[in-house]
Amino acid sequence: MTTYIIRRCLMAIPLLFLISVISFGIMKMAPGDPTALMMDPMIKQENLEAYKESYGLNDSIVVQYGRWLGNMVQGNFGESFIRQGVPVSELITARLPNTLLLMLVSTFIAFIISIPLGVWSATKRNSLQDYAITVVSFLGVATPNFWIGLVLIMVLSVHLGWFPIGGVATYGEPFSIWDRLHHLVLPAFVLATADMAGLTRYSRSSMLDVLRQDYIRTAKANGFRQKTVIFKHGLRNALIPIITIFGLMLPSFIGGSVIIESVFAWPGIGLLFMEAAFQRDYPVIMAVVVIAATLVVIGNLLADILYAVFDPRIEY
Amino acid sequence: MFRKPLWKVAALAMVLMIAACSQPEEAGNIDANAAEKEGAEAEGGNLVLATTAAPTLFNPYYSTDTSSSTIEGFIFSGLVTVDQDFNPEGDLAESWDFTDDGLRWTFHLRENVKWHDGEPMTADDVVFSYTIPKDPDYVGPRGLPFEIIEEVNKIDDYTVEFVLSEPYAPFITITAQFEVLPKHILGEVPIAELGKHPFNTKEPIGTGPFKFKEWKEGEYIALEAHEDYHLGAPKLDGLLYKIVPDTNTSMAQLQVGEISMAGISPEYVGMAQDLEAKGMVKLESGPSNAFEYIGYNLRNELFQDKKVRHALTHAIDREAIIQAILGDAGTVAHGPGSPANWAFNPDVPKFEYDPEKAKQLLKEAGWEPGPDGILEKDGKKFEFALKTTSANEIRQQIAEVAQQQWAEIGIKTSIEVLEWSAYVEQTSPPNWNFDAIVAGWSIGSDPDPTWFWHTSEIEAGLNYNGYSNSEVDELLSKNTQIADLEERKAVIAEADAIVTEDQPNTFLYYPEGYLAISPKLVGPSYNAANTYYKIHEWYFEQ
Repeated sequence: MTTYIIRRCLMAIPLLFLISVISFGIMKMAPGDPTALMMDPMIKQENLEAYKESYGLNDSIVVQYGRWLGNMVQGNFGESFIRQGVPVSELITARLPNTLLLMLVSTFIAFIISIPLGVWSATKRNSLQDYAITVVSFLGVATPNFWIGLVLIMVLSVHLGWFPIGGVATYGEPFSIWDRLHHLVLPAFVLATADMAGLTRYSRSSMLDVLRQDYIRTAKANGFRQKTVIFKHGLRNALIPIITIFGLMLPSFIGGSVIIESVFAWPGIGLLFMEAAFQRDYPVIMAVVVIAATLVVIGNLLADILYAVFDPRIEY
Repeated sequence: MFRKPLWKVAALAMVLMIAACSQPEEAGNIDANAAEKEGAEAEGGNLVLATTAAPTLFNPYYSTDTSSSTIEGFIFSGLVTVDQDFNPEGDLAESWDFTDDGLRWTFHLRENVKWHDGEPMTADDVVFSYTIPKDPDYVGPRGLPFEIIEEVNKIDDYTVEFVLSEPYAPFITITAQFEVLPKHILGEVPIAELGKHPFNTKEPIGTGPFKFKEWKEGEYIALEAHEDYHLGAPKLDGLLYKIVPDTNTSMAQLQVGEISMAGISPEYVGMAQDLEAKGMVKLESGPSNAFEYIGYNLRNELFQDKKVRHALTHAIDREAIIQAILGDAGTVAHGPGSPANWAFNPDVPKFEYDPEKAKQLLKEAGWEPGPDGILEKDGKKFEFALKTTSANEIRQQIAEVAQQQWAEIGIKTSIEVLEWSAYVEQTSPPNWNFDAIVAGWSIGSDPDPTWFWHTSEIEAGLNYNGYSNSEVDELLSKNTQIADLEERKAVIAEADAIVTEDQPNTFLYYPEGYLAISPKLVGPSYNAANTYYKIHEWYFEQ
């Protein structure tokens, strides 16, 4: 197992390198550069040239990449081109915890709601409840979640006043867990709706598969109670494919939340990335890409390890 | 939508930049019920503003975005500012005078000005700040407004003299508005490193009505009152500048009173009017300092005949566009400029909606309907592409109306909608890859029209049309050399009238700006020149 993990980690290095090369290339192919947004008749071309020169933007792409990589391997993400003088790591550390908190809580909500729903739906197959859950899940898949977010803001925040409208905390109040949760509930729930619908469907079909297995019939024949059969014998096996889904969800931790972060004014890394992309703030873009790619690699590794934990048949 | 005394950025910034950030709209109107904010005094004395785009850094010699310059306006002060009608007004300078040749300007500084750290502000700070962009090591965007400055001299602790290389009227409305930085803090910093100095993002110290308190990354910028402010201590306790990327969200916040005032973009005017009817906001409006137009590429021979351009304008029903697309948030434009601006000339040639006249003019220009109804001349059909950007929905709708109305007089157009940066790249120098564009310009605190129409601005400037008229060139070159306002106004008016007669553009409308203000907030009023004029006198009613 340990050797497996080490091997996987080593394999990640060339992978991350390749990702960074491709990302850097694509980023540079986009029209414009950080000076493109400084369009203003009162700005002289030679001033812009001096700016470009000072950030090495006139060097060849290979030189620019090499410089970035050299800093990167020393753990230095560089400084923002737009927020001049501000280290990229400072921006990331300010933003990343917000995104991770939001994503973890929303994933948690998604799992604790959809797995029981899926299981229930599977055991009551073709019943009214099953159909109802199916219809709601499909609606959930089909509805864009920024829209759900806006509707909930209008109803729960504006009309009923139950939740604050956006932000992570109330300004000017001392830190309180309650206040943080109060701000977190709505965006986390809305973000969870995106995954919930799919997860419910997955756990339903996975459970159905398992329930048709011989060992379930055997367990039933042995006279175990229905509950024991479903939760002890059935669910544990049904969860294995769901772990894959979890692994696949990890990468969306960064990209998937951009719109929700925007709607709820949640200062996360997705928004940072979007801003940086519009401004062509190359060091910030690359930092987020590298972090996202690393998360993907870790997510997949984690999913593989969890397989072994849940399924004794799997060994590395 | 806020436009600060804003010059800094200049004479003009593309109006589009503002619209470029707007999000996909939620369908349907927002029904504003309920939402009584509990305990209105909970807001205390904090003015809360919201922006869709986060600021970048607080140093006027390096920043280029609107959010940053708005906040710089709170933290720092310039020699002069403008009042609500673009008239220069003393800020750090109590008064100023200039020699008859317009080359020597003397500013008499106030003696009671204190930096936020308690140090007195003197002539040394002014000399230091105004020579930054002239330094050979300066790496920043603001060289141009300082080019005409030959010398900056300290006469005594509270008197500064500027020597200009040529008379330049915008010196007072653009250059002299640049904010002054503290020499006692930055004086020793090498100019090459000033742009990256932590002063700009961590601890800016100015002389403005509000002191920097905190920048919470991605969330807000908090400022607090500067009790020693030279025009009097602000009545507000502080100011909170929130970053709310989605306009729908900020409108919801406005609805429940979490935001004290907000500029309202055209899509949300209906909602804001509802809120006003319910007494939840005061809504003020007025012309914004901008104009919208369809611009023709005069390099294209289709548009080289003035009669044809007149015909194109006669074919467009601008009243209908304003009513149907803008919900009446604008007035018909006949020429360039803006009614919000002191230099505006309302008395220009007018080209009313008259499709019959349009057909007549085209006929005179030699265009006859072909077998398919499309006009032809020398075997060439009258067809061209109309470009605009996806960043602005209103312009896309205008393009559709124009396409239809031109079709009625036998002109065929295709519409091309481009992503913002692609649009800019195609339409600006040196590509000018367009036949016609639906676009708009925002004018700065100085009305100098040189940027748009002078022949010298064709090669690399904003004269995308490629418009050239020697008479106009002469007037425009003269305009910035005239110190007398009335005299200068007459010269600009004459140039505007000639441009209108030439119709390099079909001028569409002057957009109306809207400002929603919390009913308890006393002080702000809508104006195109200086949204935060005399902010230190604003307060909340109990």
